[in-house]
Amino acid sequence: MRKLLHAILLGLLGAGIVHVIVLLLVPEFSERDAWSRLAMASDLYRMTKLDAEAGGAPVVKSVDPLFYAAACRFDLSEGMVRVKAPGNVPFWSVSVYDRSGHNIYSFNDHSATGRVLDTIVLTPAQMIEIRKGVPEELQGAIFVEAPIDEGMFVIRSFVPDDSWKPVVSRFLEQGSCELQDY
Amino acid sequence: MLKNAFLTLLALAIAIGGGGGSVWYALKTQDGIGAIRIGQWTAFPDIGTQAADPYSKARVAREGVLALGQAEGLSFVAERDSGGEFLKRQCAYEIEGGFPTARFWTLYAADQSLGVVETGKPRPAALQSYQVLRQPDNSVVISVGSRPAPGNWLLCDGVGRMYFVLTFYDTPIASSTGLSDVTLPQIVKVGCNA
Repeated sequence: MRKLLHAILLGLLGAGIVHVIVLLLVPEFSERDAWSRLAMASDLYRMTKLDAEAGGAPVVKSVDPLFYAAACRFDLSEGMVRVKAPGNVPFWSVSVYDRSGHNIYSFNDHSATGRVLDTIVLTPAQMIEIRKGVPEELQGAIFVEAPIDEGMFVIRSFVPDDSWKPVVSRFLEQGSCELQDY
Repeated sequence: MLKNAFLTLLALAIAIGGGGGSVWYALKTQDGIGAIRIGQWTAFPDIGTQAADPYSKARVAREGVLALGQAEGLSFVAERDSGGEFLKRQCAYEIEGGFPTARFWTLYAADQSLGVVETGKPRPAALQSYQVLRQPDNSVVISVGSRPAPGNWLLCDGVGRMYFVLTFYDTPIASSTGLSDVTLPQIVKVGCNA
């Protein structure tokens, strides 16, 4: 009897250890995270719509049904990336995520000059380089310093009703996500 | 000898089964660790940030969510009504009360995976703050059900478990200090189609 109790106690202690280990390993080994899903859907530097409207299941889950969203993956070790989207929509917000889906930086249209989406994501080292002389064409852009290599950029835009659907779709389709030469 | 082997096996089974099962259970429940509860509503303000606890991080990785940033908004999920019972798609509810400060908010009826419920009708099971009618004191009353209702009507249909997802966009409550004195609307059950 004492031995049985001993085994159960040992088992419970082991369960605690296994719990912690499994919990910490889930992010490492997950093949269902947002990066993997996006990688299956499209290439680096390619804007991909995240909502289900494009046909089939949504790439990334739990996008608000009254929102359209698009994302692109980038790699800052290849150079800084510039994201632009023209047009006037009721509300947009953007987020920069790292490889494992952590939100690094986010802002919305109230933070942008003239509510125009024009952003450059770059590493602190690239920031030092560009501070020496900001080119004319980058003057109005928002610079996002992110200490990462691989990452994801997500644009979300509000669709108040059906009449806005074409406008918001166009806003996201015309969005570009490309390597910026400097 | 056989008894020792049995005891070792028992210990291992408890360790692996209990450890794995408890992680699975912790990630499955809506209000896990790091959750903030206001009435029936649950939010994870830290989810998707570096400061998140390991449970939130595992949930993010397992479900492939890209959580809203703090400058974007904050989502609340309700899985029970004010009587403490699970929300059901075949029931009618009334959501009423004041909403905290935000540029706008959206409310939708969701299924288990927190996607919007499929009703098979052209009207989406979603509402947003620019289209709702307000009471004189600026509060909002929303009728939820499969039958059209006067005032604000949120369509939901079908059978099974349901969740309400209420998201505030561009809101000061997303910064952690604002969350302490926020009140959210009540979810009252009106009746069910048995």
